[in-house]
Amino acid sequence: MGLFSTNPVAALGRATLEGVAAIGRVGLFAARGISAALSPPWYPRQIIAQFASVGFLSLPVVGLTAWFTGAALALNIYSGGDRFNAETVLPQIVALGITRELGPVLAALMLAGRVASAMASEIGAMRATEQIDAMVTLSTDPRRYLIAPRLIAATISLPLLTLITDIIGVAGGMQVSNYLIDLSPGIYIANTMDFLTAWDVESGLIKSAVFGFIIGLMGCYHGDSAKGGARGVGRATTSAMVSAAVLILAADYLLTSVFALK
Amino acid sequence: MRASWAETIMGFAVLAFAALMLTYALGVSGLKHSSGTYEVSARFGEAGGIQPGAKITVSGVKVGSVSDVTIDPKTYLAVMHLSLSKDVKLPSDSTAKITSDGLLGGAHIALMPGGAEDDLKPGSEINNTQGAVDLFGLIGQFIRPQSGSPAASSADSAAKAPAAAASAAPKAAADLPEM
Amino acid sequence: MTTTAKIAWTGISKRFGAQVVLDGLDLAVAPGRSLALLGRSGQGKSVTLKLALGLMKPDAGQVLLDGVDVTRQSEAERRASFRGIGMLFQGGALFDSLPVWENVAFRLINADGVGRAEARERAVEALSLVKLAPEVADRYPSELSGGMQKRAGLARAIVGTPSLLFFDEPTTGLDPITAGAINELIRDRVTSLGCTAVSITHDMASARTIADELAMLDNGRIVWRGRADELDHADHPLVRAFVTGQSME
Ligand SMILES: Nc1ncnc2c1ncn2[C@@H]1O[C@H](COP(=O)(O)OP(=O)(O)OP(=O)(O)O)[C@@H](O)[C@H]1O
Ligand SMILES: [Mg+2]
Repeated sequence: MGLFSTNPVAALGRATLEGVAAIGRVGLFAARGISAALSPPWYPRQIIAQFASVGFLSLPVVGLTAWFTGAALALNIYSGGDRFNAETVLPQIVALGITRELGPVLAALMLAGRVASAMASEIGAMRATEQIDAMVTLSTDPRRYLIAPRLIAATISLPLLTLITDIIGVAGGMQVSNYLIDLSPGIYIANTMDFLTAWDVESGLIKSAVFGFIIGLMGCYHGDSAKGGARGVGRATTSAMVSAAVLILAADYLLTSVFALK
Repeated sequence: MRASWAETIMGFAVLAFAALMLTYALGVSGLKHSSGTYEVSARFGEAGGIQPGAKITVSGVKVGSVSDVTIDPKTYLAVMHLSLSKDVKLPSDSTAKITSDGLLGGAHIALMPGGAEDDLKPGSEINNTQGAVDLFGLIGQFIRPQSGSPAASSADSAAKAPAAAASAAPKAAADLPEM
Repeated sequence: MTTTAKIAWTGISKRFGAQVVLDGLDLAVAPGRSLALLGRSGQGKSVTLKLALGLMKPDAGQVLLDGVDVTRQSEAERRASFRGIGMLFQGGALFDSLPVWENVAFRLINADGVGRAEARERAVEALSLVKLAPEVADRYPSELSGGMQKRAGLARAIVGTPSLLFFDEPTTGLDPITAGAINELIRDRVTSLGCTAVSITHDMASARTIADELAMLDNGRIVWRGRADELDHADHPLVRAFVTGQSME
């Protein structure tokens, strides 16, 4: 019985129920994952391995993204911002834009592509080849061994990566302003450092911790619920990435409004 | 965990670059208080977009930077605190002028050495100043000449006419934190 | 039956959608006995083992492990009872992110708190029991042949000497000589260590070596059960077809 075979009201109702049920499943999965992450036993090797693959190995892609974003932002402020003399505060706008918004969001989106999808395909493949069942028979809780380390690593790595993004993004802006308007790096940095407040950076880091959790959660959830062999794993990979990206942007808006209103 | 060497090296390279950049940034922001400089002040009728960190030049060569911009509550003049390199000794009757690299370039302070025997002492004040040229005001007056003399680029006249362009910049900066 | 069975399936039914796989299955294995579970492909043998491990929930019936119903146990309780159980999956189910020795020593390291050096020693020992050389220990599962993967999975099942063993097709894909060695190994676990074993196999020679008893699963129930020496005189047509290797009419 397909979605279109009965009357539209029933179809809408079914879709709504299905949506609510999905939210419930994700919520339950998250609650269990958090409780596994917060209580022993922990598997330090797994946690370290996840930090390496989620955090450290994401450095190149995040670094490049940050550099280009900072540089492009500076160019835009220069060429578009001259309408209101914005180029005189170019370093300040770049710094604000990077620390508060672009750094956390772009680092998170890159990780949604790189990490959430990898987690989903790895866990999905482990499901499909009965490795998760095997783990249970070896008296080990997959939630603690597989899920918790990923949630922990993603939630802590992303703020650290965002800090790197902030620094490199400013460097990108600095380089562009140096050849574009001959603004010396020293002044650029001095302006940036004088202008930025701790909260500019902190609010970005708080956001990115939430984004990191979303990435870990979506990667693990979609991987764990993958069904139907290689095709199912492929679907899970895509859903992990897309849902992580959408949730990151939604959470960004929500958190930013909370911060702005406080 | 079987990461390739290239990936690992790239990771360290990014970390190293960020660390370098951070050290540089912290170094620059700490430079204002370094021992290689001395501070003098100068009053201007119009700050014209000069921010802390703006460069100070003599004959186009950088010799220091603006460490602080305050307002004199009595005279309403902008007080610039200039941090100059100890290597550059300037005559006490030197002139400080706010200028920019082009029509829309970065504003900075150009110093023109005078001819006096004695040097500017640390903590002293540069008395000869020229405030920012109010370009838009000039253009406006050129198009619609008003009674009275055209705006001179002296501290007094610039102080009287609040510059539309110059006041726009600080306003834009003040708006930003809400974004 | 006077003693409690080590493992017993009572009235188990299992459906996947409209497909009925198990339909009131009754089967029990006494402690220290070895049972070979026979049956045509797709009749639900692997499902029977997974139900015993609580990896699937039955639609009806109970699975009693030492007299305790595992289908009603919490996950944590089940994991604790797994300490005495070793399982070889049909597909091997090796962790492909870990080298072979860490696969074999997985339970020792992650659940029993054995140090890595000692765990490695015991893993290499277990690998030698399944005729895998110590060099294999540091390779990754994807670098092994199918038969080697199966044997690594077998080593993982027997390390730590569990008292109840499940083998899903332990000798499939092995040459006769290696298969013979594996059969001996399983037999030895039962006779000298007193383990209880349930093995799924399609190989009648293997079944005769491994098993004290045999059971034939068909259409969701056990249709024949007997000792190894009764095989040749069995009058059930399906069993006869299995023994003679001829197709049934
Ligand atoms: N997770 C599942 N979802 C849906 N159907 C399943 C699932 N697992 C098994 N089945 C079905 O249950 C039936 C029994 O499967 P099972 O794996 O137990 O067969 P088997 O007896 O072990 O066969 P073989 O000897 O080929 O391994 C099959 O028809 C299979 O399609
Ligand atoms: Mg099977």
